[in-house]
Amino acid sequence: MSQPKHSLDQIQRWMFHAIVHPAGVNAGIESPESQSQIPVTPQTVEAVVSRSKALTSIERLNIYSNAYLARLTECLQAEYPALVHALGKELFDQFAIGYLQKYPSTSYTLSDLGKDFPKYLQETRPDSETSDAQIDWPDFLIDLAILERNYCEIFDGPGSENQAILQPDDFVTLSPNAWANSRLISVPCLRVLQLRFPVHEYASAVRRGEEPPVPNADPTFLAVTRRQYVVRRETLSKTQFQLLNEIINGSTIGAAIKSVAGQTEMGLDHLAQSLRHWFRIWCQAGYFQSIEPI
Amino acid sequence: MMGFVGVLLFHQSLKTVIPMAESRLGHPHLGLGVGLRSAHYSHILEHQPDVDWFEIISENYMDSGGRPRYVLEQIANRYPIVMHGVSLSIGSTDPLNIDYLDKLKALANVVNARWISDHVCWTGVAGRNGHDLLPIPLNEESLQHTVRRINIVQDHLERPLVLENPSSYVTFADSTMEEWEFISHMADETNCGLLLDVNNVYVSSVNHDFDAEHYIRSIPWDRVVQFHLAGHTNCRTHLIDTHDGEVIDPVWQLYRLAHELTGGVSTLLEWDASIPPFPVLHAEVLKAQKYIDGSQSVDSAAVPESNEPSPNSEAVPHPAVYVSVEAE
Ligand SMILES: [Fe+2]
Repeated sequence: MSQPKHSLDQIQRWMFHAIVHPAGVNAGIESPESQSQIPVTPQTVEAVVSRSKALTSIERLNIYSNAYLARLTECLQAEYPALVHALGKELFDQFAIGYLQKYPSTSYTLSDLGKDFPKYLQETRPDSETSDAQIDWPDFLIDLAILERNYCEIFDGPGSENQAILQPDDFVTLSPNAWANSRLISVPCLRVLQLRFPVHEYASAVRRGEEPPVPNADPTFLAVTRRQYVVRRETLSKTQFQLLNEIINGSTIGAAIKSVAGQTEMGLDHLAQSLRHWFRIWCQAGYFQSIEPI
Repeated sequence: MMGFVGVLLFHQSLKTVIPMAESRLGHPHLGLGVGLRSAHYSHILEHQPDVDWFEIISENYMDSGGRPRYVLEQIANRYPIVMHGVSLSIGSTDPLNIDYLDKLKALANVVNARWISDHVCWTGVAGRNGHDLLPIPLNEESLQHTVRRINIVQDHLERPLVLENPSSYVTFADSTMEEWEFISHMADETNCGLLLDVNNVYVSSVNHDFDAEHYIRSIPWDRVVQFHLAGHTNCRTHLIDTHDGEVIDPVWQLYRLAHELTGGVSTLLEWDASIPPFPVLHAEVLKAQKYIDGSQSVDSAAVPESNEPSPNSEAVPHPAVYVSVEAE
C-alpha cells in the first residue's frame, strides 16, 4: 500500500483556498495559500484531485467553487431583501462577493454570515462627490443594511413573548422621587436606531412586494422590537429617541429626563407634559419588562 | 485488504466492552418523515398533518430565541424530532468546537431528539467555514482522524452519533479505499450509526463512476438508523444534489434495495429549494410506502432520470438553509 503523498491537513487547506478564490479555481490553485500547501499547477492538479470519466479535475473542483459564492451570496440576499431591491441583484452580488472576501464566515451558523455587511459597506463607502457633509445614495444603502441586520438579530434573538411586561398601572403609584430614581428595564429585543433616511418605510414596501422609490434623506429615529415573534418598528421623535436610548443604556428615569431636557428643542413644560404620555405608550408597546428602584 | 492494524489495536479495548450493535443501534423505526422548513411552519401548526416525524437542521435552532425555536418546541410536543447538523465538520483538521457540541446537546434535551446526525465531511479549515459538505480523502490517516473525533463527540454528547454519506463532486489521488469501505470501517471502529442517503449514493455513483447498488450492498446494514431521500439536478456530465424536486425512479429502486437489506428504517425526504406546499412534500415521502410494501416494480408514473440537461445550469447544493425574517 503506497503512503499518501499529502497529509489530510495539506489537502484540506489546499482545496479550501482553491475553491473559495473569487477569481475561480485556477487562480485559487495558483494562490500563495494553496501553493504553500501543495505546489501543483492547473496542469498537474490530477496529482491531488482525480478526474472522472466525464469531467477533468478542474471541472470537478469548479462545482465546489461555483457553489461557494452562489450559496453564500444567496444567503446574504435572503438576509438583505430590501438592499437587494435597492441595488439590483447583480450589483448586490458584487458587494456580497467583496464582503465575503474581507469577512469570510468563521461561524458554524449562517445567521452570523451577514453580521459585518453594514460595516463593510461603511468601510468601502466612496467619498462624497460634492461636500463632506453630503448625505447621499451610499448612506441610504448603509442605513438600509443597518436596519435589515437589526431586523435579523431581533427576529431570532431573545424576546419577551413568554415574559411579564410592565404595565402603565405598575408605576402610577410611585412617588415622583421614587419614579425618578428607578430604572426601566427594557425587553431584550428592543433597540433604538438613528438613521439618515426613512429606510424602514422602504424595507416594508419591499416586503409588501411594492416598487418603492428611493426616499429623500430625512433624519429618522426608530424603536425596533418584536411582538408575537414578528419584528415591529415604530418611529420616534429625536427627543424620544434620546430618552429611550438613555433608558436602554441603564440611566435612571430622572437622569435620562435630565439629559434629554438639556438637549431638546421642546419647551420644558411641553416635555414634562409629554413624558407621561410617552411612557404610557411605550409600556403598551411592550418596551419594558420591569421597573427597578436603584 | 487494508492495513488497519494500528486502528484495530487502538480500539481493541473498546471492542471488548461494547456489545455488537443492535439493529438501528436500538433506535425506533419512526416511519416516514420530512425535513422541517420555515416555509411550512404555519401549515404544520394549523393543520397538524399526519406525518410520522420531522428532521430539523440543528444550526437553525440551537441559537434561536425567536419564532423558529418557538415553533420547533410546539412541533416537538406532538411529533418525534431528529436533529440533523451541517457544521460538525467531523473530518476537518481544525479543532472540534466544544461550544457547538454543548449547544447541540442542550437542544437535543429540549426537543427530546431521537438521535443526532451530521455528515462524513469537513466544512472548513483554518478557522473558516465554507458552509458546504466537502469530501474527505479516503485513506488510513483520514480514517483514524475521523474515528478519533467521532469518539470524542460521542463521549461529549453521551450518545452515538449518526453519520451520513454526503454527495460529492471530487475524488482524491491520495484515496486508497472506496467510500463504502471507509464508512464501514468508521462505523465498526466507533459504533456510530449510519444515515444512508440513497440519493447521495446515486449522485456520487454517477459523479465518480461506481456502482450504486454495490455501495449499498457493501455497508453494514445493521448500523443504518435512517435513510434520506431527495431530488437532484442532472447536469449531463454530473449530478448535483440540489434537493429541489421529486425523487427519481432509479433512486426509489435503490431505496427498495436498502429497505430489503436493512429490514426497514426511519425514512426522511429532504426538499430545500423550490420548496412545494406541505401536502406535495408529504405525498412525495409517502410514495416510499409502496416500495416498503413491495408492490412497486417499475411504476408507470415513476419519474425517470432526465436525459436532458437541467435548464438550471447554476444548480447549487444547499446543505444549510437560511431562515428568513418576519417583519412588518
Ligand atoms: Fe441527506
